[in-house]
Amino acid sequence: MEAHPTFSIERSKQLNNMGISGALSSSLSVLPIPPEEMFPKLPESQLDFVEQELMTVPLTHSSYFNSSGVVGNIFSSSPGYSTDLQHSSLSPDEKNSTNAHFITQSPSNTAQFPLPYSSNTGPPTSATPSHYSKENSTSWHADSLPSFLDFPANGSIDNNRVESSACTIMPSEEYCKQNDWQEWAEQLISDDDALTSNWGDLLTDNIQDLEPKVSKPFSQFPGHQSQGHQQPPAALYGENCTGAAQSSPANSAPAKSRMRWTPELHEAFVEAVNQLGGSEKATPKGVLKLMKVEGLTIYHVKSHLQKYRTARYRPESSEGAMEKKTSSVEEMSSLDLKTGIEITEALRLQMEVQKRLHEQLEIQRNLQLRIEEQGRYLQMMFEKQCKPGTSSTIETPSGVSSNTTRDFLDKNEMEASQVDQGRSGPSQVNGSASMEEGSPLEKEGEKPDSPKTQHAIASNDSAQAPKRQRTE
Amino acid sequence: MKFGKRLKQQIQESLPEWRDKYLSYKELKKLVRLLSSTPPTLLNGSSLEQFAKNEAEFMCLLNTQIDKFNAFFVEKEEDFIIRHMEVQQRIKRVIDLWGPNGSHPSEADYKEEMAKIRKAIVDFHGEMVLLVNYSNINYTGLAKILKKYDKRTGGLLRLPFIQKVLEQPFFTTDLISKLVRECESIIDAVFPAEEEAERAKEAKEAITVAGEGIFRNTVAALLTMQEMRKGSSTQSPFSLPPLNFPDSDFIQSIHLNAAVPIV
Repeated sequence: MEAHPTFSIERSKQLNNMGISGALSSSLSVLPIPPEEMFPKLPESQLDFVEQELMTVPLTHSSYFNSSGVVGNIFSSSPGYSTDLQHSSLSPDEKNSTNAHFITQSPSNTAQFPLPYSSNTGPPTSATPSHYSKENSTSWHADSLPSFLDFPANGSIDNNRVESSACTIMPSEEYCKQNDWQEWAEQLISDDDALTSNWGDLLTDNIQDLEPKVSKPFSQFPGHQSQGHQQPPAALYGENCTGAAQSSPANSAPAKSRMRWTPELHEAFVEAVNQLGGSEKATPKGVLKLMKVEGLTIYHVKSHLQKYRTARYRPESSEGAMEKKTSSVEEMSSLDLKTGIEITEALRLQMEVQKRLHEQLEIQRNLQLRIEEQGRYLQMMFEKQCKPGTSSTIETPSGVSSNTTRDFLDKNEMEASQVDQGRSGPSQVNGSASMEEGSPLEKEGEKPDSPKTQHAIASNDSAQAPKRQRTE
Repeated sequence: MKFGKRLKQQIQESLPEWRDKYLSYKELKKLVRLLSSTPPTLLNGSSLEQFAKNEAEFMCLLNTQIDKFNAFFVEKEEDFIIRHMEVQQRIKRVIDLWGPNGSHPSEADYKEEMAKIRKAIVDFHGEMVLLVNYSNINYTGLAKILKKYDKRTGGLLRLPFIQKVLEQPFFTTDLISKLVRECESIIDAVFPAEEEAERAKEAKEAITVAGEGIFRNTVAALLTMQEMRKGSSTQSPFSLPPLNFPDSDFIQSIHLNAAVPIV
């Protein structure tokens, strides 16, 4: 049997603490690339400027952001592992000590990536995003650890969704802020202290905020922002980032900052419009004033009002906006039908197919999320193995730990195979060799299920099979 | 080129205004091919420069893709939010006006309006689902391209980049899915109850009606999804298991009976 990086569930919490530095270092090695990618459009000159700026930033400073950024990334992506890593336990002092650890690593890591400007541009972009991913994920994790371990399909899905949507704001913010790097860099230098103190506030406040999460993913930024912003049930790209580090990059480029509307926000909008006498009478300025949403600009309201007017006008005057989009052939043939019943049936059919597609998409998405999670998990394991200081992890009995992995993968496949069950038989017209693989596997699924069989059903993944074999 | 072909098919089947919003898979693939396979640490001088240039171009394109997805997705999402509320209000208005308990009960008007609403709402549902599909297929394409990149250059781009992608607005389709489900419950309320036997009889005729547009796109999407997951030469722990769902015969038959053959 190969030496396999293994953990028991009981140990995982302990190991997480040790694992921080390992994970941090590994993540740092990859961190330079991702943030850089978010700003490809920066002309070279601007990059140089930023580079210079950052060179002057004291090393601990940037590494602070690195660590927070990295930790933030981990948090936002590895649900079960970091519950113990409550930020309160990671005081700034600790952060700095771990920083020293991966500062030394970073030069060697950047050598791998022939993008001279990438590593330097990492820190500022990760700073703000991490702020929020951390913020959200803290409150999320306490909730999610039990569900992660049980791994009920729905529970973890919801958590994943919340988490992913809650963390959405940050990267999107990056896209908008391309022109404001210089301001960012300057403000980073000056705002470090403010940020440090804010961590504590934000985190302790957020931990309370677990409940209404799933239904309102974007409203999870509580009203405890450092500037004491009133937080409406809204999700604005610009808003939260301005709350934390910079004062006003969003306002400096209003036309560009993209806004993500939510039903709640829209309701508030409609309220305001109605108060002003309807969609025709209401003006963007008036609506903006009435809505009293921080960070909402008149441009957002204007474009939204335009869409709103279009949507209202067309259903009343014609068959409805969406109907225009579908081909007219469909409408003509439906007019030719004798009775309304047939139309209704056609619609039912369409509905069924649409439902089916949606179902499949959701399943697929969850699988994809889990696969990536698993990949991250493996990555972490490998990193830990490579690190000299964590030899104790290797000594855990392989049987126990592989069960964890197996359970994890089991759940993956169980969900996929749930869809497989109930199939009457192979149906693909496009017969190919791979199809034949599908049928025998699928038939196995109808036998009484044991975990092993379930593995066999759902995947042709040969790489997963060896994992089983190792543990047997 | 299997995915590329599938993607192309999907794009062809999709609604016109969506067609240029999908992933530029082919271009990205070309750029990956241009990248040298010698590890960057071993390159020097002009070849290193060249590599850096190519890589930068690749990254740039990758990021513009993501921007494109985000912009489109968020805009459509906004539209859907507005439409969702509108549909509900429209139904309410019709019921209040022409419904049995309304202010001007009129069965004819009521029925006619309801029929229109039914069509509108089913199409609305369909469009939302197609947006989710859009998100998914672009994600899949990105994952594939990143895999190719890593394979070609020996780099470690895939894992961290995908983590970032998972957080992007265009991938977080929860709100849309929620709207879809709400739509489904509205539809259940709005559709009259039918006898099972009658339904089976009508279903056959219904097939000929549902030809173009959203429905066609949906069918194509489902089949594409199935095809893509049938099993590839490069199965790995990161691959999705094969997709099998009941009634895929039926869906295949719809597909084949469509007015315009789907090549």
